[in-house]
This record gives sequence, C-alpha cells and structure tokens, in this order.
Amino acid sequence: MKFWLAVLQQLGRNLRQTWPSQMMTFLTVSLSVLIFSLFSVIYINMLTVSRQIGDDLQLVVYLNDEPGPEMQEQLRNKITAFDQVESIHFVSRDEAYQRFRQQLGDSSDVLDDMPHDFLPPSIEVTPLHSLRGLSQIKLFSDYLLKLPGAEKVQYGQEWIERFHSFTQVLRLVVLLSASLLILTTIFMVSHTIRLTIMGRVDELELLKLVGATNNYIRMPFMLEGFLQGLAGSLIGLSALYALFLWISHRVTGSELLSMVHFTFFQPGIIALIILLSIILCTAGSYFSMHKYLRF
Amino acid sequence: MNNPPGETLPGSTDIMVELIKVSKRYPPDVVALDTISLTIPRGEMLFVIGMSGAGKTTLLKLMATMEAPSNGLIEIGGEPIQDLRGAKLARLRQRIGVAYQDFKLLLNRTAAENIAISMEVSYKKPQYITKRVRTLLDQLNLADKHGMIAGELSRGEQQRVTLARAVANSPALILVDEPTGNLDAITTEWVMKLLANSHKAGATIVIATHDDSLYRDSGCRVIELHKGNLLGISGERP
Repeated sequence: MKFWLAVLQQLGRNLRQTWPSQMMTFLTVSLSVLIFSLFSVIYINMLTVSRQIGDDLQLVVYLNDEPGPEMQEQLRNKITAFDQVESIHFVSRDEAYQRFRQQLGDSSDVLDDMPHDFLPPSIEVTPLHSLRGLSQIKLFSDYLLKLPGAEKVQYGQEWIERFHSFTQVLRLVVLLSASLLILTTIFMVSHTIRLTIMGRVDELELLKLVGATNNYIRMPFMLEGFLQGLAGSLIGLSALYALFLWISHRVTGSELLSMVHFTFFQPGIIALIILLSIILCTAGSYFSMHKYLRF
Repeated sequence: MNNPPGETLPGSTDIMVELIKVSKRYPPDVVALDTISLTIPRGEMLFVIGMSGAGKTTLLKLMATMEAPSNGLIEIGGEPIQDLRGAKLARLRQRIGVAYQDFKLLLNRTAAENIAISMEVSYKKPQYITKRVRTLLDQLNLADKHGMIAGELSRGEQQRVTLARAVANSPALILVDEPTGNLDAITTEWVMKLLANSHKAGATIVIATHDDSLYRDSGCRVIELHKGNLLGISGERP
C-alpha cells in the first residue's frame, strides 16, 4: 500500500513537471495509432466490398432450347452433382423477353416488332459462399458449359478477374504498409520514451543513490507508459472515427460509393488496438529504463 | 517511523565502516586510492583532509556504494558491500546519507521536494516528511526557500539543501563532501551544528574538507590523504 501511494505520488509529480515531453510521446502514440488504424480500416472495408461483390455473384448458363420439366430436373441434378448451390433458377425465353422489356423502360417499344422468343433460355446459378475462389468459379463455369444444351456461361469473367487482381495487389500493399507502420510505430514510440527518460537521467541516478528500489524507480515510468498508450490510442481512434464519419457523410451523395456499406472496427478490434498500444508503451518504458537499473 | 541513527544497518558489530587494502583506479592508469585500510567505529565523527586530487571524494564515493573498488574489501555495518544488489543495496543506501560536492539536486524541483526525496524512497508518512522538511529548513535558515525551485537557489543555499537531504532520513552513516565550501562563517556554524546533532543522535559521520577550522578544535580523528595514500591519522579512535 505504502509502495503504491509513493508510486502514485511520484507519477503525479512526474506528469506535472515533465508535461511537455509527455505531450510529445502522447502525440507520437496518437498519430501512430491513427495512421496504423487508417490503413487497417481501409483494408477491412476493402474486404467487405470484396465480400459484397462475392454475394452478388451469379453464373448464367445460356441454353439452345428451353428444357422441359424432366430436363430441368436432370439439369438441376447435374449442377448439384458438382457442388451444393444456393439457388438454381430457370429463365424461359418469355421471361427473358419480359425482363429485357422492363429494363428498356420507356424505350421498350423498340421490341414491339420483335418475336417474343428471340432471347435464349437460361439457368441462373447462385453458388454457395464457400465457392468463392476465382479458380473454383472457373472450374464450376467449365463444368456448367458441359451441361447438355449449354451454349455459353457468363459471370462477368473479365470484371471479376480484374477486381480479383486489384484486391490481391491492394492486400499486398496494405499488409506491407501495415507491417512497416507497426515497425515505425514501435521505433518512434520507444525512441520518444527513451529520449524522455534520457532527459531524466539525473533523477534516476539520484533516486538510486538515495536508496530507491528498482521497482520504485521503474513503476512510475511504466505507469506513464500505460497512460500514454491508453490516452494516445483513445485519441488516435477517436480521430479516425471522426474522419470515418466525415468520409461516410461525404460519399452518401455518390451513387457508386453509396452502394458500398462502409464499416468501422468491431469493438473487439478497438479493444485489441488499445491493448497493443498500452503494451507497446509500457514495454517501451520498461526496456528503456532497463539499462539504467542494472547496477 | 524515525529510526534512531545507527540502529538499522546490518550486523551487530561496533564497526560502521571497514576498508581493507582498498584501491581505486580509473582508466587509463590513474590511481585515486592506493591500498587504503581504515576502520571507522559506530558513532565516530571523522574528518578526511588532503589537497585537491588526494582521493577524498573517491573514498566517500566508495563508502557511499556509488562506485566499486578496484581491489580490496569494504564492509559497512559488518557486511561486505561488493556483492550487494537490488533491494539489499537499496536498503543499505537508505541508511547512508550523502551530501555530494556537486550537490546532485533536482534543479526543476523545489527545495522541499529535494529534501523529501530521501524519506519518500523509504516510505515515510507524508505528514512526517512535511514536518521533518520544515524542521531542517528552519535549522539551516532556509525556511523561506521551502517552495523555491532548487535551480533558482544560490550555491550556498543549494549546498545546505543537499546537506538537509543527507540527514533527513536519520541515516546511520552520513558522508559529507566539502560541506562549507560555499558558506560564510555563520552559515558554516549552522551546518556544523546540524551535523553535530546527528552525531549526538548516534550517526557515524565522515566529513571530507579543506577547511581546518572545522576539525582543529573538534577533538575528532582526522585522516590525511595524499595522492591516494593514507598519509597519517591524528587523534584517537573513540
């Protein structure tokens, strides 16, 4: 009890008397958390967008002739023989025509002179979520093309392949940037803490000479690190959230971006970032002090 | 809370400090102390004299456990100090008060905070610390400097604050390096009175000084160092 009272007293005094350097460390931590979290939130949203695109994925098998009920059953069995699917929908020539007409809207009169059966019948296959890899989709597409009566299979190959390549590159960039940022953050935070401690070497030396134990000397510094990690990460995350809200608000006007649902960190991830920040700062203080307390 | 001086150092021996063939060399080849043997009984007030560079400060630093000897053995309260580490070393240092020649004050803290530091590390009660700091400042005619930042004090005032910090925790062993170097005659008298009070209370005191007026009529033992060697001892061990 006496120990903790003395430590808290020392901590209060340190915070009062060395607030400029404390502020420097606090700002470094806040900015580092902000930059790191910004990259993470971009990455998380990119994954969400990729997932949303995956949810809309549908393979369309165009057929020569409209299959009768028996043929439909056979085709259904053959499709599910490859893998379970979410849904299979047969589109007749007439349904295709009606859909097309609807899509044309006011210009639908151009179809007035056309026969109702000029569009090919098709099967719309929505694969399960487990079948989302690009190579698996390709295999499934090849399989569907071999179905009796199948003429062509479409699933927006080119677009999906391009998006897939883009997400792969972006993932690499984000992961590399995040790794570099983590290293930079560790370096910056530990360096700032070390500089703060170096500015107080006289105090450390005196405390040792008057008989302070290593724990007595170390603990206030570690608590300072704890508080810097906690406050720095809270401010960094708050700033990011404000930025997130601002961006979300700004893009609501854009039709393309409004289709995408932006997400912030889950509470668990927020807790993890705060915890990591605290561990980093506390450990940084501990190891920066280590060499002064060896004797 | 306030332990009588001399009671809590380890061992039951009457010897407070024992130096056996102690040498101290600094790189590349400076011999600061050369094979010194010295015994200081509990409760003695001893003066160490000698010219600048004679080894007085080095001797005090070794006794204060600030530095380790290159050779020889040092015992404080009957316990060899070379092997002490961690909490044991910290406990020993709490019982040794040192007034350094370069003061070692925290210049951004107040006079009162500087004095309090030696009591805080041994977890004295805040009320006791406040009272003790006030008493010491009064005794050294520094009552009005209580809340003043140490960096703004004069050299003489800083020297007195250093001395107050050395005696504040009622240590069993008090080491004082040139206590009156920056002081006038009246202030010197206050300082010596403070040290005499601690001595009367049982503390062992070692004072390194140039000022012969301090020890001339004191009746205390005086040892003289010259170029790291023990030149002579005058007076008798108590």
